[in-house]
Amino acid sequence: MQHFSWPIDGTIVGLYLLATMVAGLWVRKYVSRVEDYLVAGREMNVYLGVASLAATEFGVITCMFTAQSGFTSGFSGAWPGLCQAAAMFVIGWTGFCVKPLRDSGVMTLPEMFERRYGKFVRWLAGVVVVLGGLLNMGVFLKIGGDFLCLVCGFDIKYLVLMMTALLVMVAIYTVMGGMLSVLVTDFLQFIVMSAGLLIVTAMILHQVGWEKLVATVEQHHGAGGFNPIADPALGWPFVIAQTLGNAAAALTWQTVLSRMLAAKDSDTGRKVYTRTSFFFVTRWVLPGLWGIAALAIIGWHPLKQLAADELAAIPPALQQKIENSKVGKPLAALSDEETAAIAPATRNKLNDASLRTMPLFLSAFIPVGLMGLLIAAMLAADMSTDSSYMLSWGSVIYNDILAPFRRRPWPHRKAIFWNRCIIALIGVYLFVFGLLYTVEGNVWSYLLLTGSVYLSSMSALLIACCYWRRANNWGALGAIILGAVVPMVYLTLEKLPATAKLAADIGKDWASIAAFVAAALGMVAGSLLKPQPRPAQTEAA
Amino acid sequence: MSHGHELWWLLVWACVAWYSTITIYISVKGCFDIKEMLERLKRDHEKQDDNDR
Repeated sequence: MQHFSWPIDGTIVGLYLLATMVAGLWVRKYVSRVEDYLVAGREMNVYLGVASLAATEFGVITCMFTAQSGFTSGFSGAWPGLCQAAAMFVIGWTGFCVKPLRDSGVMTLPEMFERRYGKFVRWLAGVVVVLGGLLNMGVFLKIGGDFLCLVCGFDIKYLVLMMTALLVMVAIYTVMGGMLSVLVTDFLQFIVMSAGLLIVTAMILHQVGWEKLVATVEQHHGAGGFNPIADPALGWPFVIAQTLGNAAAALTWQTVLSRMLAAKDSDTGRKVYTRTSFFFVTRWVLPGLWGIAALAIIGWHPLKQLAADELAAIPPALQQKIENSKVGKPLAALSDEETAAIAPATRNKLNDASLRTMPLFLSAFIPVGLMGLLIAAMLAADMSTDSSYMLSWGSVIYNDILAPFRRRPWPHRKAIFWNRCIIALIGVYLFVFGLLYTVEGNVWSYLLLTGSVYLSSMSALLIACCYWRRANNWGALGAIILGAVVPMVYLTLEKLPATAKLAADIGKDWASIAAFVAAALGMVAGSLLKPQPRPAQTEAA
Repeated sequence: MSHGHELWWLLVWACVAWYSTITIYISVKGCFDIKEMLERLKRDHEKQDDNDR
């Protein structure tokens, strides 16, 4: 039974949306220069920065994949959060890379690279950043719409309507007010989102109970549910990939960096990093607990998520195998022939079962009234993430990819107009990609892999740019090419029927690690291979 | 065998306590940050307009 009531919950959600739109549109009058639009005039202070960074880095997609990790891996699924928190804290505390970056006064990461590696590397880095970022972000809207349909109990045929409504609302205030609107709405969204997260977690701890949660993890995952090294599905490759990926994200992920670049100085930016660091543990642990609670209450029954006709089309022997499968891997025990006997749409639904159980659980667990708060919280989380991501990738397109087309700086009015057009186009892309692309398997691994298209190379470029004198444009090109090729090849292998099994055998974690190693090797080899300029002859012979 | 779930218990409650505190703290301090940011932007724009004239 779904608990969404239009008069009560609908009013709460409506009020939240009204407040967000009013706040987002109100501050647009402060935007008169392109710096105001892209980095809020570099006037952001610590607490607003913490709220904005936390709201940006927690979307519905975050809630879905962290809950999925809790569901399929128990407490071990929260390991990436621990890695990211440690990386954020160390980087903020030491100022490693981010201090020279903020002190340089640039608006985007590729802009920094021009100073060391030249104009072409800046342009190419911009392309790679946008490619990785947009691939990564492409699934946000669909998963957000999916969550809302499931929790509210709406038919999935309303998914497109839900996606459109979400996108239009976010696009309006982001297009109009840029980073200023994003910061102010993020603040509001942080409060609503946090209230929702905390109340739902408290209800789960109170009503499901700690003992039952622990017993569920022990029953389904054993020791591996508490220690990722002990889980054969995770193990060392997972731990290494997470450590590399999260450290690189803290250094180079444009949506995170944009808070550093919008800060009024590097000390403020570093404080934003250190004070937000523990949030990255929270954003994995709390929704992970929701996933474990879903497993405790609903259990692992992927077939229950199929329609009657889809279920009838699966032979009883296969049904038995699927029902007895390991949590999160409904098709793992089936042979290739058996898997092929199941319709592709049904396979996708079965593969998504671990992702969809948490919202199904919440739809029946949360009472009327609190359901409105939960929906508002999740809308807040999703809108703050989408707006920041659209603005961040848009800023790279404008600032770096279009840079060669601006021989002289554009007037502010023209620059802001083009930024608005770019953000609107990103919105259209999100909508189309969300409808066409289906994520295979674990969503977080997909995000990390698509992110590693640029995380691997950009982190190599940034570290070398700040701390290695010998680094040059050959090395930068080597890192960009090798760092992008590895994950792109893997994603292609995964999508081709003939090579899908090979891709599954390699695994996303190894592909991510390979991308980092390849990018580092590309940087070192390229830089060392380029002939050194001869020292100027300053002394007379 | 506990598999070390006491550590997770501690971490979960640390998250709840830290997040509750920081939400209230940031809700208050963030309002002042927004007010200051908008005032500074307004001043900058006025200065810019004076320079343009």
